[in-house]
Amino acid sequence: MTDIPLTEPLQPTPLGTTHPDAARSDSFVTLPPGVARIATLVGVAGTIVSTFMSWTYTSAFPGDLTVNGYPGGLQVLTLIGAILTGLVALGAFGVKGLTWLVPNRSPNAVLLLAAGTFATTWYAVIAIAQELGGLANLNPGGFVAAVASLVLLVGTLGLPIDRQPLDPSGAEYYELGRLSENGPARGTYRWLRQARLNHGELPVPDPARAPAWVQYLTIVVVAAAGVKVLTYGLATGYTELFIGYLILVVFTLWAFIAAGLTRQFSKITADHRPFAALMGVVAAVAYPFVQNNEHWANLGVNILIFGTVALGLNIVVGLTGLLDLGYVAFLGVGAYAAALVSGSQYSIWSGVEFPFWAAALTGMAASLVFGVLIGAPTLRLRGDYLAIVTLGFGEIFRIAVNNLDGVSGPKVTNGPNGISQIPDLSVFGYNLGDPHQFGSITLGRFANYYLLMLVITVIVVLVFTRASDSRIGRSWIAIREDETAATAMGINGFRVKLIAFALGASLAGLAGTVSAHVTYSVVPNPYQFSGAAPPNSAFLLAAVVLGGMGTVSGPVLGAALLYIVPEKLGFLQRYELFAFGVTLILIMRFRPEGIIPNRRRKLEFHQDEALLPAQQALGDGTAALGKAGA
Amino acid sequence: MHTLPQQLANGLFLGSMYGLIAIGYTMVYGIVQLINFAHGEIFMTGAFGALTVWNCLPDGMNIWAALPLMLIGGAIVSVLIAVGAERFAYRPLRGAPRLAPLITAIGLSLALQQAIFVWYPGADNAKDFPQLGTHPYHLGSIAIQRNDIFLVAAAVVCMVGLAAFVRTSRTGRAMQATAQDPDTAQLMGIDTNRIIVIAFAIGGLFAAVAGVAFGLKYGQITYNMGFQAGLKAFTAAVLGGIGNIYGAMLGGLVLGIAEACATAYIANIPGMHQLGGQGWANVWAFVLLIVVLLVRPQGLLGERVADRA
Amino acid sequence: MTTTTSTTTEPARTPDGTPLLEASGVIMRFGGLTAVRDVSLTVNSGEIVGLIGPNGAGKTTFFNCLTGLYIPTEGSVTYKGTVLPPKPHLVTKAGVARTFQNIRLFANMTVLENVLVGRHTRTREGLISALIRGPGYHRAEARSRERAMELLEFTGLAAKADHLARNLPYGEQRKLEIARALASEPGLLLLDEPTAGMNPQETRATEELVFAIRDQGIAVLVIEHDMRFIFNLCDRVAVLVQGEKLVEGTSEVVQNDERVVAAYLGEPFEPEAAPATAGSGPAAEPAPEAAEESAEESAEEAAAEPAGEPAEEGAAEPAAETVAEPEEGRDPEPAAESHPEPTPADPDPEAGPGTQEQENDR
Repeated sequence: MTDIPLTEPLQPTPLGTTHPDAARSDSFVTLPPGVARIATLVGVAGTIVSTFMSWTYTSAFPGDLTVNGYPGGLQVLTLIGAILTGLVALGAFGVKGLTWLVPNRSPNAVLLLAAGTFATTWYAVIAIAQELGGLANLNPGGFVAAVASLVLLVGTLGLPIDRQPLDPSGAEYYELGRLSENGPARGTYRWLRQARLNHGELPVPDPARAPAWVQYLTIVVVAAAGVKVLTYGLATGYTELFIGYLILVVFTLWAFIAAGLTRQFSKITADHRPFAALMGVVAAVAYPFVQNNEHWANLGVNILIFGTVALGLNIVVGLTGLLDLGYVAFLGVGAYAAALVSGSQYSIWSGVEFPFWAAALTGMAASLVFGVLIGAPTLRLRGDYLAIVTLGFGEIFRIAVNNLDGVSGPKVTNGPNGISQIPDLSVFGYNLGDPHQFGSITLGRFANYYLLMLVITVIVVLVFTRASDSRIGRSWIAIREDETAATAMGINGFRVKLIAFALGASLAGLAGTVSAHVTYSVVPNPYQFSGAAPPNSAFLLAAVVLGGMGTVSGPVLGAALLYIVPEKLGFLQRYELFAFGVTLILIMRFRPEGIIPNRRRKLEFHQDEALLPAQQALGDGTAALGKAGA
Repeated sequence: MHTLPQQLANGLFLGSMYGLIAIGYTMVYGIVQLINFAHGEIFMTGAFGALTVWNCLPDGMNIWAALPLMLIGGAIVSVLIAVGAERFAYRPLRGAPRLAPLITAIGLSLALQQAIFVWYPGADNAKDFPQLGTHPYHLGSIAIQRNDIFLVAAAVVCMVGLAAFVRTSRTGRAMQATAQDPDTAQLMGIDTNRIIVIAFAIGGLFAAVAGVAFGLKYGQITYNMGFQAGLKAFTAAVLGGIGNIYGAMLGGLVLGIAEACATAYIANIPGMHQLGGQGWANVWAFVLLIVVLLVRPQGLLGERVADRA
Repeated sequence: MTTTTSTTTEPARTPDGTPLLEASGVIMRFGGLTAVRDVSLTVNSGEIVGLIGPNGAGKTTFFNCLTGLYIPTEGSVTYKGTVLPPKPHLVTKAGVARTFQNIRLFANMTVLENVLVGRHTRTREGLISALIRGPGYHRAEARSRERAMELLEFTGLAAKADHLARNLPYGEQRKLEIARALASEPGLLLLDEPTAGMNPQETRATEELVFAIRDQGIAVLVIEHDMRFIFNLCDRVAVLVQGEKLVEGTSEVVQNDERVVAAYLGEPFEPEAAPATAGSGPAAEPAPEAAEESAEESAEEAAAEPAGEPAEEGAAEPAAETVAEPEEGRDPEPAAESHPEPTPADPDPEAGPGTQEQENDR
């Protein structure tokens, strides 16, 4: 009930309709069916073999691809991709024991995995050739890999494909008609429309029929795999490997969606929500133990802070539909408030040292006050005014903390120098600054803060889910959907919006208190509208929009992506913000619902059966009303 | 220099620039109810377009002779970007949820800003802009810079031209009709797409003029000057009553004068001696906005829009 | 409503004749334009009152004045003897719920959630209790859900409780709007064109629904263009023309009133130009659609002529509706928007076909 996107692209196909074989149309490349299958399997085999050969002469290319008999670096990714492709292909061809990999029996997943394997392999080969200066640097293994993955791709292109059915609302026909004014564009557009793969709208067996232990095991395995994949990605030592990783992960996830696996999995998590949530927390807690390295723990803390703030913003933007463009200022208010009462010698109240709980409350309260001060005058007005006033507030905050240095203004924040030497927190006598030993594993400073921040993230997630699935949350969403109708249903729009705004602000303030301690010092620089590194208001908004507005996992995922990708792709530095801006435009144009749009996956299974439990539960009341209505 | 007439004059110059940019916001908002956040960047690209023209002209050319060419160059760049943004970024989103075009606008704003930063030669640092001359004219006790004369003259010409256009031309009337009710306007045979493009184009044109004026006034332009200026201009548009072109200019002037006076006089108020000066000017501008929104939410010249059922 | 579970409802059917809603001398001006002039209307408990009039007559504007969406320039609206506050949410809280002419559901919420939103005024759980989730919260939430499901059952939407509102067919969306309004446990329900765009079967079903609502002791004030629907349904009908109340009375009185006919058909009265019958039925019926069409045309003409400020008024009168309903044009209102039935026929709509219709229908 918490995952509520703003838009839903397609009407859900009810479970139980006939398999729309009619929509399965010609393959992209015309091949006899047998040939296509054989080519696919030969391609898989060839690619697997190639990864055990040496791809290049020198170890100058990172990852040492020179060894025969053992895959290394990018070869591992190719190997994983090829094995997955092979297994899924066999499942799609109906081999017993593997069909569960492709619940909807669609060959689309095979094509996508093959494309992922192909892209990763060719990226590796091209990168070798380019970095070492020419194709001559490739060993036979490299050529084998390239050819085999090409055979694999062509083979899968020869498989029949499930197309996206045309939008029943006719919107696509309308768009086609509108494009007719400019001829060539229309042809391309039509081709693209018809080439669209069906993504998981095909019917799949309801996983609830599987034994309970299978369902629990699935959740555990997926959580473990998630941690493994994530830590592998974070630990990638060089850019080439990370890019290859990114390509493979994107295509694999896409293939899992196309196969209907994600759909089944979201049904399982919806049915076992507490257990799934627990496993999610366990996986998150496991992270600093598995990835026992201060650098990655630091990254983890920052992602959590960023994600938590994004989640708070999601209450304001995603649930209530209020555009807050100065949200990072509330994080700043919390951070400065915590810094002032931290006992730092640079604080104007350097003698004051609050315990953590009091500091956290102070940060929240300060943000709350500012939230109400900003919200109260503007939330009575049309929504657009809020955008500009919050943007203005963000600017005021930045200017003010820069100027409150005792020279250009009263001395509070030390201006650009900020408040530094913030002491480490101590929670229940456990000093987060010191390393602590757990068995054979030592948790360093950042790992400690990571765990503290995780607690706060869990609190914020709880606040988000509980609030959104309640009377107040429904009124937020109602306001977002149609404010006039909402007030006509008795909702005091101003009051409800102010609560959302203030809640969002105080959650950001809470995260700010931790961030002040994590970074040792609080300076004005990060708290601006846009900048090269998160958090800033534009990145926060992007995390929410990119991940999926109104969802829990969306903003956290969006935050992680926005943190990790720039961190890993260092060479983008100069173009990073440009790419970021263009990405925002493209997302709004082509996937306005974000990465995680699916509030209603669960419902798709229920479209026909939904009335059963309801009828049982309501037998008596219904009869009474029926009588009254007669 | 700190006399009241001088401050009023300073505010007037500053406000004219805000007003010119604000017109772009207000026209687009009036017709499609979209806050074109990228408008500040359109203003910035206009200034860079004009600078490019100046750099292409032979050295030592008289600035007064070059000025028309620079204006044309800047206007072409700004109008093309504004119209392109409408066509390729905003138009496909009509009918989308309200947040979608706003976020697109933010993305566009960042992309434009960064495009200049990355690809315009030397734009990592502030770029010098040609000057009209440094000797001010004196009118009584008021010192007036030459570039300020250009600014005010440009603002007056633009406003008079726009008023005449909107009042008398067919397109202008169609524009008013579209702003009132796009659906009905369309039913009446008005090509609303064309009207929207024209609104963006006029906004771009005025932004380019403002961009040139900014360069002349401050002598330097930067890739990120659009953000602050756009924010101020939008504030001016809201202050004057968004959707109203005269309101935009009035709001700009009020904002400019308020800023100038706040810079000069706030420090004289007992207890606030540390809150004056240039550093706090923006803060006071936004405080003014919030106060106006509290007292008169529809803006100075705006009409109260009935809640729509 | 008479159910076992609801707590704050009044007993079924308060005695007839007690004034529930009293609007007196309501005037609504937009700038120079007067959309509603001095309209007084009383709705008694247990009554179904119809409000008809040509397009642009100010019906919806009047509705908006009643529900606090507009603050009337002059005049007062009382409900159960107390003046209604000029805030929509307080009006709903007081016990007056409404639907909208152009359906305004919460499209991305489920059917059940839409109705739960309607329960907002009858529950009290705030943010804190939602976060703590004590036993009281669970009880209130369960009761709300139960009540909402009853209403969905009542309107025949229970099977679709988990569907997104946007995915419902048109007719069911209208029903859902009614269910949502009923969820606020109103004493008076205002329906703004509940059958617009419906086919005859759906219209009849809606009719039954409105009767059923009345039978639960909820008074109904309904705006409609479908004359047959109105005259079947309503105990009293008020006619609004150019913002003024022309006539008020029983269906019969209204149908036989010359001024109403004139207002709908235009003055001077010309038999040739008079509207049509649908020639299908055995009885000659002046098809309501046809009446509607000519009413629209004549309203435009008429509006330009007689009023005080001729030019401005003519242009402004339709605009009144435009201000109120910017999306009106997109509504699938076959009767109001299209002019497809030019069949010339019965010149005399005063022949009282309404009564015949009622007999035919029932």
